[in-house]
Amino acid sequence: MSRIWPLKHLKVIARRYCALVWAVVGATSVGCDAPIDAFRPNTIYLAKLEKSQNADLRPAQADSNAALESLFGTPDKPQWPEFLQSDDDAVGALVSVERLQQAAGPVRSDEQDRHFGLFREHCVACHGVSGDGAGPASRLLSPYPRDFRLGKFKFKSTPIGKKPTRADLRRVLTAGLPGTSMPSFRLLRDEELEALVDYIIFLSVRGEVERQLLTEAAMEIDFEAGERLFDVRLKESQPDEFAAQSGLLTELTTSVAKQWSGADDAVTPVSTPTKPLFAAGQDLASDEAEQLAASIENGRKVFLGPIANCASCHGATAMGDGQTKNYDAWTKDWLEGLDPQNRDEIRPMLRLGALKPQYILPRNLRTGVYRGGSEPSDLYLRIVNGIDGTPMPATAMQPDNPQGLTESDVWDLVNFLLSLPYETISQDAGITPPPTRSEAS
Amino acid sequence: MVQANNTPDAVTTDATELRYSRLVHRLSVALTVAVFPLIWVGGLVTTYDAGMAVPDWPNTYGDNMFAYPVTTWLFGPFDLLVEHSHRLLGTVAGFISIGLVVAAFWFEPRSWFRWWSVLVLLSVIAQGALGGFRVLLDQRTFAMIHGCTGPLFFAIATATAVMSSRWWLMRGESAVGQSSWSTPRTAWVAVLLLLASYIQLTIGAQLRHVTGSVSPQLFMAFVHSHLTMAGLVAVLAIGLAATTSLRRETPRQVRFPAGLLLGCIVMQIVLGIATWVVNYALPWQELSESLARYTILAKGYWESIIVTAHMATGSLIISLATVTALRAWRSRAWGVAREVNSKWKQQVA
Repeated sequence: MSRIWPLKHLKVIARRYCALVWAVVGATSVGCDAPIDAFRPNTIYLAKLEKSQNADLRPAQADSNAALESLFGTPDKPQWPEFLQSDDDAVGALVSVERLQQAAGPVRSDEQDRHFGLFREHCVACHGVSGDGAGPASRLLSPYPRDFRLGKFKFKSTPIGKKPTRADLRRVLTAGLPGTSMPSFRLLRDEELEALVDYIIFLSVRGEVERQLLTEAAMEIDFEAGERLFDVRLKESQPDEFAAQSGLLTELTTSVAKQWSGADDAVTPVSTPTKPLFAAGQDLASDEAEQLAASIENGRKVFLGPIANCASCHGATAMGDGQTKNYDAWTKDWLEGLDPQNRDEIRPMLRLGALKPQYILPRNLRTGVYRGGSEPSDLYLRIVNGIDGTPMPATAMQPDNPQGLTESDVWDLVNFLLSLPYETISQDAGITPPPTRSEAS
Repeated sequence: MVQANNTPDAVTTDATELRYSRLVHRLSVALTVAVFPLIWVGGLVTTYDAGMAVPDWPNTYGDNMFAYPVTTWLFGPFDLLVEHSHRLLGTVAGFISIGLVVAAFWFEPRSWFRWWSVLVLLSVIAQGALGGFRVLLDQRTFAMIHGCTGPLFFAIATATAVMSSRWWLMRGESAVGQSSWSTPRTAWVAVLLLLASYIQLTIGAQLRHVTGSVSPQLFMAFVHSHLTMAGLVAVLAIGLAATTSLRRETPRQVRFPAGLLLGCIVMQIVLGIATWVVNYALPWQELSESLARYTILAKGYWESIIVTAHMATGSLIISLATVTALRAWRSRAWGVAREVNSKWKQQVA
């Protein structure tokens, strides 16, 4: 029998194999899943407050964390404040505790094919555990993932400053945002989508309450004099003081939750178009075709006109080449008082986890890709409501503003936008100079 | 048995026939072939986040895994189908490994190979246990380690198939003792490629098993490392393919896997870009209308296939690099043997 490789060689191989296995264990453990036992505090907002107040607000952060945990629980065991569950129908129905717990915690599924930990499975890589839009992959994405904690959402049926409806959030989940890293989750079941909508609302309410608590602490509470934002030890020793602290938490949380529950009442109605709407390849009777052509032409004038003033950002060519050096609300929020071009000024915020400022680019309307939806009604809402958190404003409308657009003008603009991808670039929207205000009137 | 005659080549052939066991080799090849689908299904487990679809181990929802109702397995939840299939395929690899050990101790004359087959069995047991710990502890870290050691086991199975082959025995085993261990450049490049591919795979596993506790900075560092290592692996693969194809004396058995390796790496780069696109989209969508229109479909069929294929091709690259490195090293030994034989022939003449 051959003894070319005796046992000692085997031992060497075994030792090297073990060393390799340990090397792999070491290498892979670098990014190991440290337990996600708490939401990441909003240190960026705290730093902004500290700078503006010129004060050390670390005690405020500790109190705020304790208060938030007592209200909203942890990422593994989220809870919805009881006083919200027992509130009137709209607030009480805002979030279901059962759905919340299905969306939270570690990823798993059972023999009945019920899936749990949906947020970690589908969302956390981009939006982060606390919904701060700073998940692991966030720095590499453009645009950055949404930070839910400001309570602002872009694509919705309600005006700027109002919360989106559940249907709005659900539409973004099912349709996704074309051309971005936000996928469509249309393969998920209804109850899974509803659970995710609940969890997004939960994170948004929690985030807004956190900001308000920190603001309250910075403005109203003198920590040096021994005042506290929230101290659970006072429950026994000073029940009145604790009741006052709890009252503040209840008041702030309820006011944020009520904004959400009132979203359905704030939906902007979409008027019925009185003219034919543009659709590629459609076969219209001659009078309808004439009406459509006139509508598109009027839409072009509105686009270039001083009221809608679309060309100032989207460019005279409508290719998104107008005003391009602007930031969204989420970036402006922490950039306040800082020069975004000055690395030294913004470095402390970047170290706290802020994402490097990224210009928000106006849409190239000639691609025919609209992130908020490409149905005529979607475009109508974008024009009338604007896009929250971005430089895209709501258009002035009659009769509230006598100088504003009419419903007919808006539909003409919608027709013009829908026709743009089918125009040749020689039919440049900006070939004719924009009319002056007197011409427009 | 082949009749021995007086020439050294014939002696080598006779020795080869004495040592070669068709059963051992076939079991080794069967093990290698069985591991690849196991890796694919394991990849699907990660792609669909189905690691905890069966919360117990080694049982399946309280049943012995082999007694689990077939109807629920095949027609129940998709995640359960993927996870339970992965476990059953794992046992297939385990049974083949047991057969290999028995066959090796029965038929294989090389003592080191017999102990090597034991190592193969221990490896498959360790790999199964790692998968079990991942479930029992509900730790994605174990899932990541399990995902990294899977390709390592694939490489071990591949090495077993190569070392039990007739070609391996024919290529001058008798001359190994005379070789100076100064393995040729081709073998070194193949070994470097094997190491680089494996490091690349572990970095990829970090990206694939990302959790909410990973910071954006660390994730970015992994992405950049993955891209850098992809470049290094590509350069090494090109170098290996060039040295094997340009040197006439390189045996076909080395040249072929080296060429295949280069092809796999090209495919892997394409799959890598596609994996990023179907997970995170490209950052410069506005440059292309088709990219601007593209909406990622979470857990979509093609998206899942692309991501899983990227993972499986990584394992295939490691397997092919193992084949190339071993054969290149063995060819060098054979070269030495031929030299010795020809000197012996000259002396006889």
